[in-house]
Amino acid sequence: MTELIPVFALTGFVILFGLALVFATSLLGPKTKQSKVKQLAYECGLEGEGADSTKVPVKFYLTAILFILFDIEIIFMYPWALAYKDFIATGRGLFIFSSMAVFLAIFIFGLFWEIRSKALEWE
Amino acid sequence: MGVDLFEITVNLVKMIFIFVMMVNAVPLLVWVERRGSAFIQNRYGPNRVGPLGLVQLLADAVKFIFKEEFVPGKGHRLVFYLAPVVALIPGALAFAAIPLSMPIELGEFSQIPLGLFTIDLGETYGPYRFAFQGYEIGIGIVFVLGVSSLAAYALLMAGWGSANKYSLYGALRASAQTISYELALGLSLVGILLLFNTFNFKEIVEIQSQALTFSFLGSQMTVPYLPNWGIIYQPVGAIIFFAAMFAETNRLPFDLPEAEAELVAGYHTEYGGIKMNMFYIGEYGHMLVASALMVTFYFGGYTLYPFFTPETVNQFWSETMGLTGNPVALLSSLSLHLVFMVKLVIFLWVFIHVRWTLPRFRYDQLMDLGWKTMLPWALANTILTAVVILIMRAAWS
Amino acid sequence: MLGAAIPFYILSFLVLFFAYKTITSPNPIHCALHLAITMINLAFIFFGLNSPFIGGVQLVVYAGAVMVLFVMVLMLFDLKTEVRAFSRGLFSSFLKVASSGFLAGILIVGVLMSTDMLDVTSDSVGVGVKATSSTDIALLLFNQYVFAFEVLGLLLLLVAVGAVAVSRIPGGTHAND
Repeated sequence: MTELIPVFALTGFVILFGLALVFATSLLGPKTKQSKVKQLAYECGLEGEGADSTKVPVKFYLTAILFILFDIEIIFMYPWALAYKDFIATGRGLFIFSSMAVFLAIFIFGLFWEIRSKALEWE
Repeated sequence: MGVDLFEITVNLVKMIFIFVMMVNAVPLLVWVERRGSAFIQNRYGPNRVGPLGLVQLLADAVKFIFKEEFVPGKGHRLVFYLAPVVALIPGALAFAAIPLSMPIELGEFSQIPLGLFTIDLGETYGPYRFAFQGYEIGIGIVFVLGVSSLAAYALLMAGWGSANKYSLYGALRASAQTISYELALGLSLVGILLLFNTFNFKEIVEIQSQALTFSFLGSQMTVPYLPNWGIIYQPVGAIIFFAAMFAETNRLPFDLPEAEAELVAGYHTEYGGIKMNMFYIGEYGHMLVASALMVTFYFGGYTLYPFFTPETVNQFWSETMGLTGNPVALLSSLSLHLVFMVKLVIFLWVFIHVRWTLPRFRYDQLMDLGWKTMLPWALANTILTAVVILIMRAAWS
Repeated sequence: MLGAAIPFYILSFLVLFFAYKTITSPNPIHCALHLAITMINLAFIFFGLNSPFIGGVQLVVYAGAVMVLFVMVLMLFDLKTEVRAFSRGLFSSFLKVASSGFLAGILIVGVLMSTDMLDVTSDSVGVGVKATSSTDIALLLFNQYVFAFEVLGLLLLLVAVGAVAVSRIPGGTHAND
């Protein structure tokens, strides 16, 4: 736990620094009258078109969920890479290689299936 | 954090110094960027305020603070204000975890010599060991990856807090882009892990501070006069890592989120003044982290075999210059820090040069590059590395 | 020992506080952001408990991926009616507190009942098999749990196929507005 104290200290300092900067402007900056027109959402100076929030393509959602899946697979490769040479040194190199090869084969199959099924197409 | 007041103070000051260094690097980098872009495009750039226009950025910073406070009418105030603060955190936390030089090992001392006179402290201090970084985290790589993956929150908070559809669109684009390239980024590091077998930055740098040594079909080979750098084993991994880091920083050619022709200014459309500037601090902080990681993983970190390694630098200050004790530790650490800084500056310049050389991608090209080109290449790189290591080590042992 | 305990209690307080805020915030996006902070604090608790790899995974996967997805999805939908439905009056807040209390009760009972089965007194950090360093995790994963690891790969593939299939379905609750 003690080795984390610097991390917390830095986080706290950064947050305080950021808040201080944000509040410095509200203290030092000029105070002008806020009007309804001024507070409109900025759309290049024109009046806003359409609804306040638009529907967003489901593609973003799909990208994020595929990202999670691949991220989990990649994070499993880290301990594997860490112990790879240890396993080779004890003469079980082929075993650890093939166990990851099977996992990677599934990974690659998934990736190419997604490319084939046009799940990653953006138009 | 430390055993006595002196150590705690030094550690705190060091940490804050590294953060302030990051913040102060921003105006300098902006200056270099503007002068550099002017140089590339055959213009002058800022050259009126102060020598070479250096004071221009100070003037800008003052101006930013004295800007009017503005929140869009329908915006969510708390989220809107917190987004720029959150944008600072990932870069700062990640940069503080990267070793900028070798640790300073101080012996016991009771006075500080300052050239002509010495300060007598009265009691004996030490011995101390100060790491030349904000804090030492044993699991450096995973920590840095994890912390920088939090960068998406600042973008999403800014986009949603502004209650502007262009901001939201920019934020969604930016976060989809960051997460897509995070895959190639994470995968390209597996090659480095396969080679060095450690998560610790310091150990990675130490391995790279020797002569090129590798197993070749079961026997140990050494190539003198060539450093043991990651780039020699992992050229493809290095390219993928660097390209993915570009996308993570949201800079040209990957600055789709702020494509001004389509999205006004992306997620920071509604931001102005110092709040806008804080996003820039975050972006340049990411750039610093990217360059520092590139140096640490692929270019020997703070060492440069055969000229600047912990041993040779120690030898230089103690034998050639005739110093003993604590000054040797201090000076050799500082000289290695200089080596690191030179490498860092080279990569920062590459970042700036690329920005003013390449055009922007289209969004579908960008996603295609991330998912269909860089991810398969990173996979191929990993598999090839594993196969080569297996053949070179196992088959003949 | 006390120096090590203070950050733990601060972190635990933060985890509980933001978990509470996750449940009680009326706005779904605030909920998601609070949950993200909870996840980050949990990651740091793992770091502090000498499981840095698990902490890193928590940070990369939960805070950096899953919660980003949640936040993105909540921004994707325009949740105006839902916000109104869930922030209306005493009844819904009573329901929220009651259901979370029920869940917490189940968890507490589960932990209390399982302490007898597990030998937690001898080794308070790693229950069962001790895995302190990241290499230990790798050794465990590729010696004892290889089969589970491969099956996990298949499972992830199935989820990917499912996600793609679901995203193809036209219509849905928000199709008409």
